[in-house]
Amino acid sequence: MSDTIEIVAQDRDTYYLNMGPQHPSTHGVLRLVLHLDGERIIDADPIIGYGHRAHEKMAENRDYLQFLPNTSRIDYLSGMIYNLAYCQAIEKILAIEVPERAEYIRIIAGELNRISSHLLWLGTYLLDLGGITPFLYGFDDREKILDILDRVTGSRLTYSYGRFGGVTMDVDEVFLENTAEFIEYFEGRIPVFEELVIGNVIFQERTKGVGIFPSELIQHYALSGPSLRAMGIASDVRKDEPYSIYERFEFKVPTQQAGDCFARSLIRIEEMRQSLKIIAQALRDIPSGPVMAAKVPKRLRPPAGEYCFSVESARGRYQHFIVSDGSDVPFRHKLTTPSFVNVSTMSKVMAGNMLSDAVAILGSIDIVVPEIDR
Amino acid sequence: MIGEKLQEHAGITESSSADYAVSGYHHVHKALASELPAVAALFFENGYYLETMTCIDERASAGDEKEKKDDAEDEQTAEDPGAFRLVYQFDKAGAPERHLITTRIASGESASSIAGVFAGADWYEREVFDLYGVLFAKHPDLRRILMPDDYIGHPLRKDFSDQDPRREEMASE
Repeated sequence: MSDTIEIVAQDRDTYYLNMGPQHPSTHGVLRLVLHLDGERIIDADPIIGYGHRAHEKMAENRDYLQFLPNTSRIDYLSGMIYNLAYCQAIEKILAIEVPERAEYIRIIAGELNRISSHLLWLGTYLLDLGGITPFLYGFDDREKILDILDRVTGSRLTYSYGRFGGVTMDVDEVFLENTAEFIEYFEGRIPVFEELVIGNVIFQERTKGVGIFPSELIQHYALSGPSLRAMGIASDVRKDEPYSIYERFEFKVPTQQAGDCFARSLIRIEEMRQSLKIIAQALRDIPSGPVMAAKVPKRLRPPAGEYCFSVESARGRYQHFIVSDGSDVPFRHKLTTPSFVNVSTMSKVMAGNMLSDAVAILGSIDIVVPEIDR
Repeated sequence: MIGEKLQEHAGITESSSADYAVSGYHHVHKALASELPAVAALFFENGYYLETMTCIDERASAGDEKEKKDDAEDEQTAEDPGAFRLVYQFDKAGAPERHLITTRIASGESASSIAGVFAGADWYEREVFDLYGVLFAKHPDLRRILMPDDYIGHPLRKDFSDQDPRREEMASE
């Protein structure tokens, strides 16, 4: 950072503050170089890459199936969504039919995963802001989801439940009963969170009007997910470009107008409600039958060309860009992750805010560092 | 709408529509590297956003492919074999209309940055520079993003190796 020192020497009234990489509110290793004028942020430069594990390079060195366990480790908090997204991408390219029952199981598992990701965000965000109690409430409920998924997948976080053409194991009656029970239970819990967190005056003071995304960022950065929906745009990949069987389900895309940390929080709470709605419909309609396609080729050789597949992860649009040269190893596999996009906007969003709000803003975009670095 | 404007644009050398149901793209274009900022500006003016941007290292593979398909004359391999291919993906909010723009950058040539048009391209271009070593002219702040600042080599290049003796030579320079 030799250039940094030069600037400091030129301008004595401002200074630089290094936040991270070892900082509790960065949820992993992320570093922010904050340029400050007193306590006001002039510029923020996120330094990423501390958790870079070269997933894209790994993808180029193994065949399509061998990359499957990597997928949930890219974003360990919505591992199920990422794992299934990869399967869905490959199935789409190779036109592999997925049995109905497997599609419904995927919807249930994916939406449960979305709720658990949002619950973890809720707990840790409040922890960032100084409230310890909601963390315990959030993790308590999240544990219930992890138990449900653990029963059928055998994993708590890094699921490899999907297979090209279906899922590894069928769910049993107990899984369906537990999920139904959880829906009923959690519907009663959301108002508790609303009262405990959203209604809390300290929370409102710390988040309202803080970290407003300027509207021009939408086009410049291709924002997605809760960050975009908090700015009044009802965009969701599940609605815009329905994948799997999402078009069969009735759910709303919540929006808010303010574009601040508070609005993003409201969006996530409402999204949990909508996910419950989707799961309830899936439980109602789930058919019986096989959970794996009968014929899946052993060697997967997508025709040469470029392919793009997007899903809505808990944080926004997650995209695969796969280039095949016709062999069983991808020639290029680019992962465009929502956290990467969100963090790249930070210099524009944080400018003008107070230093004490930096933590509130960073938490409100729900960053998952391994997902930024890949 | 934008389709006509793109076809008239001098920077676009080839356009075709793609099979959206399989590939996820509606249109695929090839562009001249020098005209990319102008092409990006056209997308920006028409309300598109830059969904992603990346690079493909085709420097060595073009030669291999030629051997494989000696019966079919492939245009790409007939061109310059040693090249990186930059990939830009533009899309519209709400109703997807995805355009894939590719452009070839010969080894040692630098690309034109579009960070002046789409601010979001800043980090994508830094990533391509970091992992592929492609330089972007007029980029506001071209430095490594994922690898450490003192790292030598560009890991996503196809000829990259951790044990590459050149890395040690370069380090001692």
